[in-house]
Amino acid sequence: MKLVIFEDQSFDNFYPLTYLRPVFELRCGATLLMEKMRRLHPGAEAVYFMRAALRDTFLQRYPGARVNDLDAIRSDDCLFANGRLLLAATALPGGPSAVCMAGDQVAFARADKATLNSGAAAQAATLEDLLAVLKGLPQADLPADAHMIGYPWDLVHHNADAIRADFAAAGKRGVEGQKALQAVIYGDPERVYIAPGAEIHPLAVIDVKGGPVTIDAGAEVHPFTRIEGPTYIGKKTILFGAKVREGTSIGPMCRIGGEVEESIVHGCSNKYHDGFLGHAYVCEWVNLGALTTNSDLKNDYTNVEVYVKGQLTDTGMNKVGSFIGDHTKTSIGVLFNTGTVVGMMTNVVNTGGICPKLIPSFCLHYGKPMKGFGFKSMVDTARISMSRRKAVMTEADLELLKYAFEIAKPERDAMIKKARKG
Amino acid sequence: MSDRIKEGVIKVVCETLKVDEADVTLESRFVDDLGADSLKSLELVAGFEEEFDIEMEEEAALSVKTVGDAVTFISKVVKEQHG
Repeated sequence: MKLVIFEDQSFDNFYPLTYLRPVFELRCGATLLMEKMRRLHPGAEAVYFMRAALRDTFLQRYPGARVNDLDAIRSDDCLFANGRLLLAATALPGGPSAVCMAGDQVAFARADKATLNSGAAAQAATLEDLLAVLKGLPQADLPADAHMIGYPWDLVHHNADAIRADFAAAGKRGVEGQKALQAVIYGDPERVYIAPGAEIHPLAVIDVKGGPVTIDAGAEVHPFTRIEGPTYIGKKTILFGAKVREGTSIGPMCRIGGEVEESIVHGCSNKYHDGFLGHAYVCEWVNLGALTTNSDLKNDYTNVEVYVKGQLTDTGMNKVGSFIGDHTKTSIGVLFNTGTVVGMMTNVVNTGGICPKLIPSFCLHYGKPMKGFGFKSMVDTARISMSRRKAVMTEADLELLKYAFEIAKPERDAMIKKARKG
Repeated sequence: MSDRIKEGVIKVVCETLKVDEADVTLESRFVDDLGADSLKSLELVAGFEEEFDIEMEEEAALSVKTVGDAVTFISKVVKEQHG
């Protein structure tokens, strides 16, 4: 069977998080959305469908993956899974050909080889056409513990439960790395997994009363760090005296200090110093300067609104932090308002006040958005920050950055122009 | 060199860098003589774009070193974009 993981047309609801990656490569819990799908369907060969511009960099990360290959799926029975599906412990159900809809989008569909090679399905020239045909199949139900993610804040909202589910699925317990005698596991030691190569320094506290904690391979937890479960700390990440509150996922190779609560840091990003990050999603190669802080709760406790595709959207939640795109940097002391969207490859400089709720990509924000030092300068900075993790920006990476720049340019230019007139 | 552009450039320079008009000549260097740091340079570019209703290519604009060179550069851009 083929497991066909696809992006639908809602990928731009997740900008800036999805400029450089498909929706199903977003993190929720310890793993990416696509990793949960693959874990729950172990016998199936994965085929991925995404925007064409993402293909080359995706293949860099997953060499040999089958991408945007419509022919590959006609040779087998297929399970089509929307990339926005957040699965927990239950696989998508098997059985005869059927479809499960979420609004007007396919959440998942299963179709046998005969169905795929007959009638209108056989004539479909694109995956979108094929899915339109499959919408006519008998209806199936989504597993009770599955969710369709609609917006970035949904990832944060479900993160704690996803960490618990990932911990249970991994099935690993105990200390395989190094834990200093003076480091404390507070609560049931069966709710901790410290992977080989991970190191817990003296005077670190891992509190698992509220949920499990995984410290993945090669991670370091330095003294005076307090971690509250459920939390996931990724491979080779270092915590510097951090307060890591419940519901936090830190991806690989991050440097984290200060206070982080119910947030997702995708990977390869720095928040070395003090400052609060709450109910936020931070992409890769981000650096948050000392004392950078986001609000995640309004003083009147009302619902937080977030900009989606240029429109303020009611999240229906009263705790929502910032969504910060790849390669973005903040200076010391930057203050983000509740539910702020910060574009990718943007340089935010503190001017003493709270930043506006929407900061465009590829700009320098210094009280107002400005063009900054130019695209070449931004790329040069990105090369330097990547080299600090011994990563190299490839031609494919550069081409994708150029693509993202063009996608983000209309909003950026309009906001710069508007700020000038203001 | 248009007097209107020269006057506009000097006005933006004085407002942005908080310097007296008497201290600004065509030979004045933004960084060495007028104290523009990197952020002030960006503000100058934004100020010139607003003053003359033009769009300048960032790297080219930031490579301009003196007030006189800015007047020349902006004159060219104004001609290209406004005829």
